[in-house]
Amino acid sequence: MFLAWSEIKRNKLRFLLITSILLLVSFLVFFLSGLAAGLANMNREAVDKWHAQAVVLTEESDKSLYQSSLDKGEADGLGAKETAVIGQMGSIADNGKVKKNVVLFGIEPEGFIMPKVSEGEVAFSVENGVIASDVLKDEGFAIGDTLELSSSDTKLEIIGFTDQARFNAAPVLYIDLDDLQHLKFGDAAEINADLVNAIVVKDTNWSKLKVPEDLEIIEVENFIKNLPGYTEQNMTLTYMIYFLFVISAAIVAIFLYVLTVQKISMFGLMKAQGISSGYLAKSVVAQTFILATIGVVVGFGLTWLAGSFLPSAVPVQFDLQTMIIYGLILITVAILGAVISVWTIIRIDPLEAIGG
Amino acid sequence: MVLELRNAKKTFGEGNTLVEALKETNFKVERGELVAVIGPSGSGKSTFLTIAGGLQAPSEGQVIINGNELSKLNEKQRSKIRLQEIGFILQASNLVPFLSVDEQLELLNKVKKGNMPNDERQQLYKDLGITKLRKSYPSDLSGGERQRVAIAKALFSNPAIILADEPTASLDSDRAFEVMELLQHETKSKQTATIVVTHDIRLIKYFDKVYRMTDGVLELDMTAYE
Repeated sequence: MFLAWSEIKRNKLRFLLITSILLLVSFLVFFLSGLAAGLANMNREAVDKWHAQAVVLTEESDKSLYQSSLDKGEADGLGAKETAVIGQMGSIADNGKVKKNVVLFGIEPEGFIMPKVSEGEVAFSVENGVIASDVLKDEGFAIGDTLELSSSDTKLEIIGFTDQARFNAAPVLYIDLDDLQHLKFGDAAEINADLVNAIVVKDTNWSKLKVPEDLEIIEVENFIKNLPGYTEQNMTLTYMIYFLFVISAAIVAIFLYVLTVQKISMFGLMKAQGISSGYLAKSVVAQTFILATIGVVVGFGLTWLAGSFLPSAVPVQFDLQTMIIYGLILITVAILGAVISVWTIIRIDPLEAIGG
Repeated sequence: MVLELRNAKKTFGEGNTLVEALKETNFKVERGELVAVIGPSGSGKSTFLTIAGGLQAPSEGQVIINGNELSKLNEKQRSKIRLQEIGFILQASNLVPFLSVDEQLELLNKVKKGNMPNDERQQLYKDLGITKLRKSYPSDLSGGERQRVAIAKALFSNPAIILADEPTASLDSDRAFEVMELLQHETKSKQTATIVVTHDIRLIKYFDKVYRMTDGVLELDMTAYE
């Protein structure tokens, strides 16, 4: 550590360069991880809010809530501890000032998927009253707003807000299931009164439940993975993060190797004097550890700072645990990047260094 | 006997390309002796020095340093012997460019596990006249100052042997004599065995014995002082 730190102190500019690069890479990794979490959350937070284990959909829907249509009476035959039915419809909501793409979740008020209301009325107290995702507040929607829907003449009224309620990147409007059926089916609402999109199951032994052949029961996580674009988007960002790990290892490896090659004769002289390869190798590793740690810690701070200045429209959600894990991975790959330099040091012949 | 070469020989290549860099050599040096090895370039002086310093093994024969026969040791053990028993002074300054004078010795203190008390270190600085240079870096020092620091490193924690390869090569006459006086003083006061490889015959007066290397043959030169 002594040799490593002394060199850093003496050659500040040189080491500032590599630390800056590591700082920028770690900033990018942290930011992308925040973006990945934020985007994932935009897709799934309304589903996570159910605190359920499984979802029953029609087999032919290919795990898509949008394409599934089943009789809500099937819920009684499942034998699950708790079930809740859900009807779904996509639309554009217009409060007269702003138009916004929304998802309507038709639910039964007594069901366990009824959201906690953070502001406004706690139940569907008026016909066509909706409890809206509080994301809409930032978009200019308010309690008491009358909403016109693109696909219907029926007008809705916002009677309350609930937090963390987005599905497939769209804010959710929770509405009484009966009201949704009228919206969806119009005059045919009574005939289709029992048609819902899915049954949400709260039962840890859900895998043992027997469902009719034309239905399938899938784990909630599997349901989320099958949301349009969810897996592709997550994989893209995850691979970008993985590539950044590889890139940071390569940057450190190249930089340290160049530095080591420049110091071959010095290392050779030190080895001739009896200083072991192990001591010199430890010094290079210690140097890498110091530089990577400084880069990652500053990158971490910079990410938090940048995050606090971002507008709410940017879907970034920093998770401390993930950031710590990614930070440790960055430090580890940086140290792996020092392996080539360590190998070079071990192979230096002191005799050649002193010209013997 | 601090250093002894018994029938040591170094050859490179084989058959028609065989080169005897060091022909069969017997050599001894005692504590407190300052010995010169002189000879023209390419005569085998450096080969002799690197064998004596355990940096390469002889093709035949033995090298014994303070009772340790080097051929029986592995590289790690030889490295330890170099660290503990030998101080090197090289033609090119063997200072670490990013360490101050104080840090150069602190590094040795760390790798040698702190076997030189601070007061002894201060005395060493004083003896070599480098007390004021303690905070300076190699790039701030003159050639003579750098060699004095190199001598301080070589003498750190009182090694049994000092091996110096052309320690005055980059110095003017005054600085060269100054360095030799220092080496002579330290050899006698610390009872170190010092071997200096040089081609500078102006320095002969400082040595107790002078050996001449000619085409790989090392012989005591009785006429060197004439």
